[in-house]
Amino acid sequence: MNVGLVTVLFVASGLVAVGAFVAVWRRDLSHALAGLPLMFGGAGTAFVGVSRFGAVSSPQVLGQEVAVLLSIVGLAAVALGVGLAGREASR
Amino acid sequence: MDSLHAIGFYMSSGLSVAGGLAVAFLQGRGRRALALAVAGVGVAGIYTSLSAGFAGVAALVSFAGCALLLAGPSYRAIEPAVSGRWRQIGALAAAALFAALAWSAFRGAFAGPWTGYSPWILGGDGSGASQVGRLLFTHDALSADAVGALVLVALVGATAVWRGRERRP
Repeated sequence: MNVGLVTVLFVASGLVAVGAFVAVWRRDLSHALAGLPLMFGGAGTAFVGVSRFGAVSSPQVLGQEVAVLLSIVGLAAVALGVGLAGREASR
Repeated sequence: MDSLHAIGFYMSSGLSVAGGLAVAFLQGRGRRALALAVAGVGVAGIYTSLSAGFAGVAALVSFAGCALLLAGPSYRAIEPAVSGRWRQIGALAAAALFAALAWSAFRGAFAGPWTGYSPWILGGDGSGASQVGRLLFTHDALSADAVGALVLVALVGATAVWRGRERRP
């Protein structure tokens, strides 16, 4: 049993696709926001995988740094969306 | 990667994808938030098995925060006036996105040693997608971060302007 970059990229593409599916499948727009962290998680997985297996001339922390940034951006986007939805619903 | 990390990677991958699908299909706000948290545990496990422990902790905190936001009292539902046919088209688009990304992963330059396929390179003079990707991922990672943040801010600003115009009589 082995894990390579292709395996990681397959999982990353699956996460991005599942996130997009969640975003379009839920009728409630606010809950469609739940697809955002999944898509960001998939993108971060691709970055971490490339930095783990593909980076040969640079430290691995660059891809990990992007993954951390994407996690924060995903949380911020969901918070912004829930806040906007709450403001719109209270009008 | 040793067998223990490989098993952890595959289990975490299954957990994250299953949690994501549960977010789409489960009924009830609390259950969906719990499923999102489970997906976060899976993503954190993927990161950890790829020797990115700190990124795993950040992903876990991020997913937990998203789950709390979606299950919290400040949540308000907004129902758009969109027919079910558009949602079905969107679901098909998500499937097409997965197919395109999986094909790219399979045919990418990195896949050569594992699959035997020749790399998909547009040009041999350094203008190919793989070279650009390597450059963005390694040397210019911070610049790519800045561009991504700029795009996000622009999208949020465009959304705010659009909604402001929509409210005008």
